[in-house]
Amino acid sequence: MTELIKTPRTGETLPVKAGKRTNPLANVFDELVRFAQSRSLFMLHYCTGCGAIELPPSMTSRFDMERLGIQPMVSPRQADILLVTGYVSVKTLKRIILTYEQMGSPKYVIGICSCTVNGGMYWQSYATAKKLNDYMPVDIYIAGCMPRPEAVIAGLRELMENIRQGKADSWKDYYRHYDHYLGHQQRLFGETWQTPTDVIAEARHYGLFGPDTLGTHTALLEQHQRPLEALEMKVDIPELMARR
Amino acid sequence: MIELILMPLAAFVIGLAMVLMMRRIGARLQRRVGPPLLQPLWDIIKLHGKETQTSHGLIHELGIVMAIGGFVAAVTLMPLPGMNGLAEQGGLIALVYMMMIPSLGLALGVGQCANPNGSIGISRALTAMLAYDIPMVIVVFGVAFFYGSTSLVQIIDAQQAGGFATWGIAEMPLLAFAGLFAMQAMLGKQPFEIYVAPAEIATGPMVEMGGKFLGGLFIMQCFQLYAAGALYTLLFLGGGENWLTFLIKVFAVVAIPMSIAFLFPRYRTEDVVRLVWKWPAMIGLLGIAFLMY
Repeated sequence: MTELIKTPRTGETLPVKAGKRTNPLANVFDELVRFAQSRSLFMLHYCTGCGAIELPPSMTSRFDMERLGIQPMVSPRQADILLVTGYVSVKTLKRIILTYEQMGSPKYVIGICSCTVNGGMYWQSYATAKKLNDYMPVDIYIAGCMPRPEAVIAGLRELMENIRQGKADSWKDYYRHYDHYLGHQQRLFGETWQTPTDVIAEARHYGLFGPDTLGTHTALLEQHQRPLEALEMKVDIPELMARR
Repeated sequence: MIELILMPLAAFVIGLAMVLMMRRIGARLQRRVGPPLLQPLWDIIKLHGKETQTSHGLIHELGIVMAIGGFVAAVTLMPLPGMNGLAEQGGLIALVYMMMIPSLGLALGVGQCANPNGSIGISRALTAMLAYDIPMVIVVFGVAFFYGSTSLVQIIDAQQAGGFATWGIAEMPLLAFAGLFAMQAMLGKQPFEIYVAPAEIATGPMVEMGGKFLGGLFIMQCFQLYAAGALYTLLFLGGGENWLTFLIKVFAVVAIPMSIAFLFPRYRTEDVVRLVWKWPAMIGLLGIAFLMY
């Protein structure tokens, strides 16, 4: 199903600027920050499916993620890693995208279980999103049904190594190719899909605005976009309203 | 003058080690290995190095500054071995006042985030503060009454005059126990950590904090652990004759609530108030009564 409709994606991922600055002191500083980023990862585990059951063992006494500096956090503002553990239904995917866009960059996405790779055993389901990286950039996939805690930790270690070398920057890809990801999102959720986050403005803010940020799908978004309004505050208790 | 810079710096470094100790104790009690040596430092560097710093307005940022600044000011009022800082000019009353500022600053900052979880959390935190401040004030002024002075320098001198027999904990064991109880609530450790409640209200006050704001709160936690341990050491354990005994005392004091914390679930807010106003406050008043007669 995912092959039938392919959003065109012009140009390849821009080569990462090696991150070397001319000032040697700045280089040392960058190295330090990258090392700290790799040694301290707060993860937001979005437990969508069965893969979540392998996370408690990898956090608790037997495998103990904390010795690698990885600990769970509860709100997207605090988190660095978004763990998507298992199949993603269309309804769940909306929440995952909202969560992902609220996280502070640099942010990393890990897809655990076969279901996030290619739909797994839900391949024929009409309600399941098949490939997670159609909708958001994924840093590491940990395949398996379900992967054991050793595999989860091996995947996390690989991510840490990538972060330390400055290679884990797929979050920039979301801004550079927003049109591509938005196209896939619109395919599932309809043309009126919009999130509270202004991704295009953020792309400009981070200097990641590229030729593929805007396109046919973002034009569609602009056409349907409604300005965000605060939720109406109302109390629906009859006795209270009668007393007024 | 240089002391005013050195004292918060020393407090921060000791606080980092205390955070590490807290996490290691928790890990050992759960039969884990626990985080590596510099983990608290990596956390703070990472949080300040994040590219997205979601601010919710000026007061949000000032609130964090106030939360750290209150403890920095409090730390300069606590004499270290060889450094008195502002202790002679400040005294206990200013210290107790300064220790309340961080919670108020946090409340201001969280208020502007406009997140319902944060508001619930901070209202619970301020209620808890109301609860533990009563026994805390009873204990602190009980000690001041006993030594006839609000100057920490004089209190320490009086305690160090005769060795262990003149320590606060030997002279006023009831007040010392009440102080330990109140400290557990002041640090927000487990039986009293309803306002954080990660699973229910998403860490309460910290819910909208990301990047440097959470990093600021991590720094505040370092200062908070140090301030609580140092205050108890100064009031009851005779302060520090030298750096070695001071550090041993401070770490031992902070290790007690940490070890208790990981064994307990938590009380509801009204139960916290009921418990803290009943037992430590009563024991503290009883302790003062013994001192008077």
